[in-house]
Amino acid sequence: MRADGHYLGIDVGSVSTNLVLTDLDGNMVKKLYLRTSGQPIKSLMEGLKEIAGAHRSPLIAAAGATGSGRGLAGVIAGADVVKNEITAHAVAAQRIVPGVKTILEIGGQDSKIIILRNGVVYDFAMNTVCAAGTGSFLDRQAARLGVPIEEFGDLALRSGSPVRIAGRCAVFAESDMIHKQQSGHSNEDIVKGLCEALVRNYLSNLAKGKELSEPVVFQGGVAANKGIAAAFEKALGVRVIIPEDHAVMGAYGAALIARQARLADKTFLTKFTGFEALNRIYSTTSRECNGCTNLCEIVELLSDGVVEARWGDRCGKWSSSTVAKTSISDRQLYAMQK
Amino acid sequence: MSTKIGIPRSLFYFKFIPLWKSFFTELGAEIVVSEPTNRRILDDGVKSCVDEACLPVKLFHGHVLNLKDKVDYIFVPRFTSISRNEYICPEFGGLPDMVRHTLKDLPPLIDTEINMRRSENGAFKAAEEIAAKLDVGRKDARHAFRTAMNNYCDFRYQALCGVIPFMNIEVTRRIQGDGSRGSLCEPQEPSPWIGPARGQFPRTASVIQENRPSGCFEPREPSPRSTSPRSTQIAVIGHPYNIYDRYISMDLLGKLKKFDIGIKTVEMVGEEDINEYSSKLKKPLFWNYGRKAYGAALHLAQKGEIDGMICVTSFGCGIDSFVYDLIERKVRNEYEIPFIIMTVDEHSGEAGFNTRLEAFIDMLSWRKSNENDVSSSG
Repeated sequence: MRADGHYLGIDVGSVSTNLVLTDLDGNMVKKLYLRTSGQPIKSLMEGLKEIAGAHRSPLIAAAGATGSGRGLAGVIAGADVVKNEITAHAVAAQRIVPGVKTILEIGGQDSKIIILRNGVVYDFAMNTVCAAGTGSFLDRQAARLGVPIEEFGDLALRSGSPVRIAGRCAVFAESDMIHKQQSGHSNEDIVKGLCEALVRNYLSNLAKGKELSEPVVFQGGVAANKGIAAAFEKALGVRVIIPEDHAVMGAYGAALIARQARLADKTFLTKFTGFEALNRIYSTTSRECNGCTNLCEIVELLSDGVVEARWGDRCGKWSSSTVAKTSISDRQLYAMQK
Repeated sequence: MSTKIGIPRSLFYFKFIPLWKSFFTELGAEIVVSEPTNRRILDDGVKSCVDEACLPVKLFHGHVLNLKDKVDYIFVPRFTSISRNEYICPEFGGLPDMVRHTLKDLPPLIDTEINMRRSENGAFKAAEEIAAKLDVGRKDARHAFRTAMNNYCDFRYQALCGVIPFMNIEVTRRIQGDGSRGSLCEPQEPSPWIGPARGQFPRTASVIQENRPSGCFEPREPSPRSTSPRSTQIAVIGHPYNIYDRYISMDLLGKLKKFDIGIKTVEMVGEEDINEYSSKLKKPLFWNYGRKAYGAALHLAQKGEIDGMICVTSFGCGIDSFVYDLIERKVRNEYEIPFIIMTVDEHSGEAGFNTRLEAFIDMLSWRKSNENDVSSSG
């Protein structure tokens, strides 16, 4: 693997941590989908370890980080670009489905819609204050029904007449669903009803007033759910394309953006230090700053007990005092090859 | 010892503080402004205020508590109207009652009604009433109010000339490299007038805005000789108390500055320009802020100098909900300008806010570079 360079994309999300390795042309060569389980550092380390492999780790030409934990991932791995999820998803979808005009993305805590025109993000929307139309909503309801989330979609497809379930809010949906259960509706009809409720919620919250033209791509972890995909097709009346790698599109986008950054800059040298990070022990501590009445919650990232980065302050007093770390071997190696 | 008047750094502070400050000083009182919004003020406000109120009103309660033991009076005027035939949000009108009945052991409130719906003389009347409470006679009150209006005039002119209100001090501090203590913790006050000398003071706010001195209003026009592409400009539409309060706006303006983006706000658009567009509506908007936001947004869009528009709203704001919808339809259909609504509430996690903002900025530069590609090939 060492002879060729690779691009690495890291997406640390609330539910899953994904890593994607591409070749120098941007083709995906390896993908990892790991559960974050509330421990972003641990899952990131696991991912990096697996990418590094047992013997010779791949040479990273550039690395990108995205997802709600992108700041953390960016510091630990030494990412060259740290990008928001919306841009990352748009870049990846365009690579897989050239000319894509509508991207539906549903993840664990976030849902987004991205509208593209002429290869450019034209408009987007993201759920604001509540996670009703997202993966965690489905997870929760599946658990309540005693249906494993993996079987959820297939079960929905078996339904002949879905029941109508209120989709405005997860709490409303739950009480509506319990009432339907109590009146004797079958599990598959309820499950399909839930899928349709989620899609209704998504479309009315995010897609209101937007023109959803084909090609339509559906990605994010929830795209694995066939029931939701079918509900989208029914509601929109168009074919919905689900990329094979729908679950890691954010990470793929981050890798592609890192690639663009490197290609745009002739003197580019990666800051990537992710594999060296594996030899260190990372931990975080948090405390309240008493500098003023804002009482900001400061997070400190420690590597082997030494503070490597701080964030969470509003004034910049702590975050600006972060020590920039210098990267070592990979960077020099790559410079020689170039 | 002079009387201490407490002014909550909240709501109309961000519109009228230059006026109030100079008025009370002229009357011989001492001004105490509450601290810039911080977590304690937010927590106090949310805890004490009725649940249904919007975030800015809750914050106001927090600011009043912040002043409680420091002053002789707290200035909580009853704002009914600040312009002829127009109203403002009814929560402003009920503010003194809300404050009085939810917060205990307060110093006396100065809760004079300010109602300019029928006549702009309402402002003078209010000034006299306030002065009377401080044992100052009518003549001195009128004089103090005129001086205060001059000061307010200056503040308005600065904004019209392109100075972003409440950002000045912070900007100079950055330039001086003295940011060590964290500028967010510092008070934000408008700086003294730096523009050309002003003319004679006019009597009331709306007259002032019509009498712009020549040579003041257009200094920021790009020079015709310049061929380099101008920097990205974004219109930030929102109530002054949402966008200039750096805590609740999650420092939106500061973040845009860091991205090197130029900012236009409603306060930077003149009254005539605002009315040009708002008067075209089939039915006039009777909300003062609604008219201004709509007119300013369309003026900025029409001028073609902005690349995007961000509307900031606090969760549950009634006026914003329909005015922004009105703006959104117009801006999207007629001007093809990227548009986004950013909702603020009690949330202090900035991740979601930042993601939207960064994606929006990405979208602007993506679109821009794409346009450049097209023009260079064709």
